[in-house]
Amino acid sequence: MTNDDLDRILSSKDYDVLPSSGLAASVMEAIRSEAATPPPIPFPWKRALPGLAAAGVALVWLLALVVEELLRGAVPLPLTTSLPIWWVPIVRSIGWSALALLLSLISVKLSMQLASR
Amino acid sequence: MSAAEDQADIERVQAGDISAFEGIVRRWQGPLVNLAYRFCRDRGRAEEMAQEAFLRAYRSLGKWRKKAAFSTWLFALATNLYCSEIRRIPPNTVSLDNIAEIRESGAADEGLLEKDRDRVVRQAVLALPRKYREATILFYFHDMDISAAAESLGLPEGTVKARLSRGRDILRRKLTKTLGTPELEQA
Repeated sequence: MTNDDLDRILSSKDYDVLPSSGLAASVMEAIRSEAATPPPIPFPWKRALPGLAAAGVALVWLLALVVEELLRGAVPLPLTTSLPIWWVPIVRSIGWSALALLLSLISVKLSMQLASR
Repeated sequence: MSAAEDQADIERVQAGDISAFEGIVRRWQGPLVNLAYRFCRDRGRAEEMAQEAFLRAYRSLGKWRKKAAFSTWLFALATNLYCSEIRRIPPNTVSLDNIAEIRESGAADEGLLEKDRDRVVRQAVLALPRKYREATILFYFHDMDISAAAESLGLPEGTVKARLSRGRDILRRKLTKTLGTPELEQA
């Protein structure tokens, strides 16, 4: 066996197969079904951009607040001065939770409004 | 195969007449199934891969730039798909080192019959490392046309030539061991 033998064997037409008789019909059926399927809805980047930008700004603002709070140390808030000492962390947690809830609510409302347009 | 017929059918499909794609399928189903069969040696899987290739061609008809022949574009698309499919689910092949077992288990004592020998050679092609296998399959599929094989693989001709040469060297070395014919050495 030489390169010529390899050429003869590997280019032989005996190596070929005939497609089955139903292949063309099956391909066309798949293509028709594909054509009948509505194209996927593209993500509305234009509409989402203001919301995403607002979320980004809010996130940066929150991070800045946290950093500021950490740098200042445990400075009591004016509201908490009249409360017993063990109330201070609770009031702070409630404040942060309220802010988080408010942001979530705004975000959900905004997305629902954009989606319904 | 007529390039003008392909062009006319594509224009009709792009104008919304999906049934015109059937002309393309009928003209190219044979070559696409055969190419797939050379990659997997399984008729059923070859037809499935060819069907997927037609679907992808239909989806990306808009990407066909008329600078290249439709057939060149179609073969490149199909080759790309088949290579990925074969990488994802490799066909049942025997490793090059174990090809001798085919002979021991399947052939008569007086040596391999011609048909068996051809089968061993084709099996050996499938057992080649991927880059040599792809170049070898495409070269023989395109009737030993290096430039057509290079276009289908999206590689420079020099790279395909080098891979083909290396693939044949491996085949000759392994098959010399397996078939035991000294004249197998470099022709």
